[in-house]
Amino acid sequence: MSLREQIRIMVVDDMSTSRGLITQALDEFGVRDVTAVSDGTSALEAFQKYPVHLIISDYNMPNMDGLHLLHALRSNEHTRNVGFILITGRADRAVIDSGKQLGMNNFLKKPFTPQELKSSIEAVVGRL
Amino acid sequence: MSDPMAEIKASFFLECEELLEQLQDGLNRFEEGDDDPETVNEVFRAVHSIKGGAGAFGLTALVDFAHIFETSMDVVRSGEKSPEADDHKTFLVASDILCDLVAASRDETDVSPDRVEESVAALKAFLGENGTDPEEDEVDPADFQPMGVSMTLPDVGGATTGSPGATQILPDLSALPETAPEPQEDPGNTSAQNAVPGTPGFSIHFRPDPSLFTSGNEPLHLLKILSELGETTINCHCDELPPIEQLDGEESYLSWTIDIRTTHSEQEIREVFDFVEDLCELRIETQEIATPDVFAPEEPASQPPSSDTEPPTPPIPEVETTVSKPDPQPSVTTAPSVSAAVPSQPSKAKETTAKPAKTGGTVRVELDRIDRLVNLVGELVINQAMLSQSVVEAGIGSDQNVAAGLDEFMQLTRDIQDSVMAIRAQPVKSLFQRMGRIVREASSAVGKDVRFVTSGEATEVDKTVIERLADPLTHMIRNAVDHGLEKNEERKNKGKTSQGTVKLSASHKSGRVLIEVSDDGGGINRQVVLRKAIEKGLISEGNQLTDSEIDNLLFLPGFSTAAEISNLSGRGVGMDVVRNSITALGGRISITSETDKGTKFSISLPLTLAVQDGMVIEVAHQTLVVPLNNIIETITLTADNLREMGPATTVVQLRDDFVPLLDLAVELGFAPPRSSYDDCVALLISPEEDSMAAVVIDKIIEQRQVVIKGLQDSYGAISGIAAATILGDGQIALILDAGDVISNASGRTRNTVETLQLTGAIA
Repeated sequence: MSLREQIRIMVVDDMSTSRGLITQALDEFGVRDVTAVSDGTSALEAFQKYPVHLIISDYNMPNMDGLHLLHALRSNEHTRNVGFILITGRADRAVIDSGKQLGMNNFLKKPFTPQELKSSIEAVVGRL
Repeated sequence: MSDPMAEIKASFFLECEELLEQLQDGLNRFEEGDDDPETVNEVFRAVHSIKGGAGAFGLTALVDFAHIFETSMDVVRSGEKSPEADDHKTFLVASDILCDLVAASRDETDVSPDRVEESVAALKAFLGENGTDPEEDEVDPADFQPMGVSMTLPDVGGATTGSPGATQILPDLSALPETAPEPQEDPGNTSAQNAVPGTPGFSIHFRPDPSLFTSGNEPLHLLKILSELGETTINCHCDELPPIEQLDGEESYLSWTIDIRTTHSEQEIREVFDFVEDLCELRIETQEIATPDVFAPEEPASQPPSSDTEPPTPPIPEVETTVSKPDPQPSVTTAPSVSAAVPSQPSKAKETTAKPAKTGGTVRVELDRIDRLVNLVGELVINQAMLSQSVVEAGIGSDQNVAAGLDEFMQLTRDIQDSVMAIRAQPVKSLFQRMGRIVREASSAVGKDVRFVTSGEATEVDKTVIERLADPLTHMIRNAVDHGLEKNEERKNKGKTSQGTVKLSASHKSGRVLIEVSDDGGGINRQVVLRKAIEKGLISEGNQLTDSEIDNLLFLPGFSTAAEISNLSGRGVGMDVVRNSITALGGRISITSETDKGTKFSISLPLTLAVQDGMVIEVAHQTLVVPLNNIIETITLTADNLREMGPATTVVQLRDDFVPLLDLAVELGFAPPRSSYDDCVALLISPEEDSMAAVVIDKIIEQRQVVIKGLQDSYGAISGIAAATILGDGQIALILDAGDVISNASGRTRNTVETLQLTGAIA
């Protein structure tokens, strides 16, 4: 089985449009196991029930933003190893630096093409 | 590919509507002095999300405008600049433009560039020096060194090998300056080196007894089920297999070891072997490293965000310090913007536990589907009525079981109907928000200072009603601003506040929805109205009209205030058009006005357009339905309560009041007046607050719920008739438009042949 058939990815975004776009793109890449949730809290809950290899999360979300989610993931020994790609509307240096600090694996600036999404995932997990 | 994308794009525009609503809501609260940082955040996020989505679809005009709007809101959010009254207006106007741009992108039309530029200029003026594009301090993705994830994918060669790609791109950790000084375990570091799989696992030893085979079980089948539960590595042990000449066909020689990584519990694994448990040797061992206890739900404390007791996410300041400390490169601007982002964060983290995510609670359904459902429910109601009638006709209605069953059926039908109607119901909030914009635009067009107040925004009304209410309401709101309110100076001269108020409210009142548009302006100038009505030949000079009658002249076709042309009037829409659209919705509109206090329009609407409670009656062998909410009571006419009044009318004395008597058969042209009204049945109807009549009918048949079938599409508007319905016996009955009957009747009782005959008959 190839990586794309085994990898489990979770998409976290408060906008259903973005969730739809990303899951649609992942589907086209042949990634089979994709979960999508609408905020950080749900992401943590979903992860507890069904761990994933990689989380692709928006930065700007209500209640818990992407960096808070990353922080929460990294501060727990059982979730800290998950891959994390942050999607931002603006690649503010402050945000990216904090992300880097917290161990974000990659980031992607909006808007992005499916190909850019793919490259950014592959840079982290290897060839899909 | 194009198909799912088109769907996502369509859903983006739907989502935009929600975001725009949030945006306006937030801006309104912000303008009213709500200084909760979350409010500004919400506003920012709405614009930001619209921009993000628009970018994905290449909607550049939308992206460009959203960008400068977003920048402005970011400046507000970070506290760099606090907006003043005029700035709030700028933001509200910008949200209007954003709304237009979204609509234009959706409909592939254009927005007048002047208005966009004007708004952009206003936003830029607000930004001033702060308008420097924050993108200058953006990180180029190419500068970021991605960090590999060490993935554990058991099927690839062995349980714990990482994927080949991942190992190659494992980061050079020493290159990340920030990771070293942290005394705590550094997340980035461990994530790269620690290969603990994220999934719990079990090791299963399975050795079938010969009896397993003789009872017809198949180990392969069990292994297949197991592999559906998780990622399995299966090893078959065949070392016990004897040489072929010693092989006993009925013995069992093989055993298996299955390593499984799964989220299922041991219990669930065991269940796979449920039927063969006694027919095999089975050992299930938990693989320790693979079962992190975070997955046990009883340990929530290990999850910082879900912990109430610990201070919420204490390490956030850490981020701030570590960012600003070891990195010498960033300019001074970096630090403030980080710390600016920080203050709001602890409160957000707290909210995480308190406020459950509000998304996910709704489903979007195409309107067509709901309409189909509404229609089907309508058929169901008719069918239920027909069934009840058939049961009675078949003479089995007295059977207790049948009667009870029918009762229950009727109740269920009604419940289903209510639930379906509730699906179509929507709060008037979005409509009211649109009116806020009308007020803004109208007031700036005529140079008046206007405060717009709404209440009862949560009141729910049928979606179609809301849609069709938009035009008449817009017109009334414009009128209120343009004609209702006095000019600022005039108000001051009268001792009023220079700022006028326009109020829009919604409420439920006795099964209907009441919507009121009021202003605190000068009230209707009855002198002017009267003179104009006479000029236009709508009334003759000698008429003595009450104040209320004069006010209602505004609704007459041909009465227009076009003489006082301003930027807003002259649109060719008069109040008669407003009244017609309200009437078409089954509603009534009335007006009250007081000099120097203001004018109020009250619209009363049915909750739903599809079903109504009605009284089925008979008049001149015709079956009709009178809407129940129009009926006050039934009365029996006697010589004692009938009074002749003037040459052409008869009235009924009702306690201390006199009410005009109308013969419905005559009014609808079904039959000539009868010789005597003594002992006749009449319905006291009052479709509007100040109109009432006693309507003579032949008999009352029953009270029931009727499904409204519109006639307008096929027959146009019919005087006195609102719609039709299908009764239980399949017969079609007309639904009476009580208001129409009363207003038309009072118009012709004085001088028509029928009414003369009518009075003659009584005399």
